[in-house]
Amino acid sequence: MKENNNYWNPIIAGFILGTALFISFMVAGQGMGASGAFARITAQLAFLGNWDILSSDYISGYIKHGNALANWTVVEVAGLFIGGYISAAFAGRIKQSVDRGEDYPIAKRLFWAFVGGMIIAAATRLGRGCTSGQVLDGASTFSVGAWIFMLAAFGSGFLFAPLFKKQWKGVK
Amino acid sequence: METLNTMYPLFTTGGISSNENLLYGLLIGIMFGFILERAGFGRSTHIAPVFFFRNLRVSQMMVSSILTASTWIIIAVYNGWLDFNQVFIPTTYLWPYMLGGALFGLGMIMSGWCPGTAIVGVATGKLDAGVFLIGLMVGMYFYFDYFDKIVDFANSGNMGKYTIHEALGVSIYTSFLITVAIGVGLMIFMRTMKSIRDKKGEDI
Repeated sequence: MKENNNYWNPIIAGFILGTALFISFMVAGQGMGASGAFARITAQLAFLGNWDILSSDYISGYIKHGNALANWTVVEVAGLFIGGYISAAFAGRIKQSVDRGEDYPIAKRLFWAFVGGMIIAAATRLGRGCTSGQVLDGASTFSVGAWIFMLAAFGSGFLFAPLFKKQWKGVK
Repeated sequence: METLNTMYPLFTTGGISSNENLLYGLLIGIMFGFILERAGFGRSTHIAPVFFFRNLRVSQMMVSSILTASTWIIIAVYNGWLDFNQVFIPTTYLWPYMLGGALFGLGMIMSGWCPGTAIVGVATGKLDAGVFLIGLMVGMYFYFDYFDKIVDFANSGNMGKYTIHEALGVSIYTSFLITVAIGVGLMIFMRTMKSIRDKKGEDI
């Protein structure tokens, strides 16, 4: 089956996303997030049957009010998964694959995805959020920190990109 | 016509209950995921090229959504619908944000994902997104474990809720105009870099 590559124009998609973000501020008083949910899931998993873990201040901060998963961002991220699935299902885009540049070995691609995930974990804890909860939410509410985080991220991405040229070879 | 009172955010002004807020959170998340997938962010190969100035959809969508959301916010503040003081704004930690941002950019070009897009990637069958999210959780665990050794740095440069208008001592409307200027400047920068790359005819 030919892949459906009919995507929204990014400027229009941004207008719709920005409007959704505004609705989020108007309803919940906060914008959308993503990384915080994974911090909470990790804290909850680490806590399962392991009371010693509460000696970690960071984890106990999530647990002390009850279940770490009873949280707006966690529920919102569950919705994010559902919404992504619905969109892809209607567009006929649900397909197992490992996306990468031409001729790049799958094992190496997955290795970098894993290491990148670990690095991004530390990045989001230091930065108190990711592209969603820090950059989009913060910049939309005129926070100086969001721009500092975003410009540092883009600058570093441009700087390190040549090291990963092979992984993304031929990608348009 | 009755006098308009500030009634938003609905949750913090008591307009909806905590459970209703969670239900709306689920719906907002569904919208978010749907939009990200429609825009093509369920694939790492649509994200990584921005760092080579090959495909600007990431930066275009980010700037477009920031400018759209802040325009709506400024309209709502001007009309007295939204109490801006009740909107959550992340605290600015200068040094951790610089290092965190730099690590974030490195992690993004390395993995092709950020946390939000990777969720969409997993929902649409991308194995690299799943591996990324496992790495993300392992990384979180290490961070929690080492947190007491880096806590001083992680909380350094605390500037509180630091908005552009507070920093410059201007009104929120000036903050909005500066946000538009930064966004437009970023778009122009990205377009210029892309046209330089295009002229050289380099592929990744």
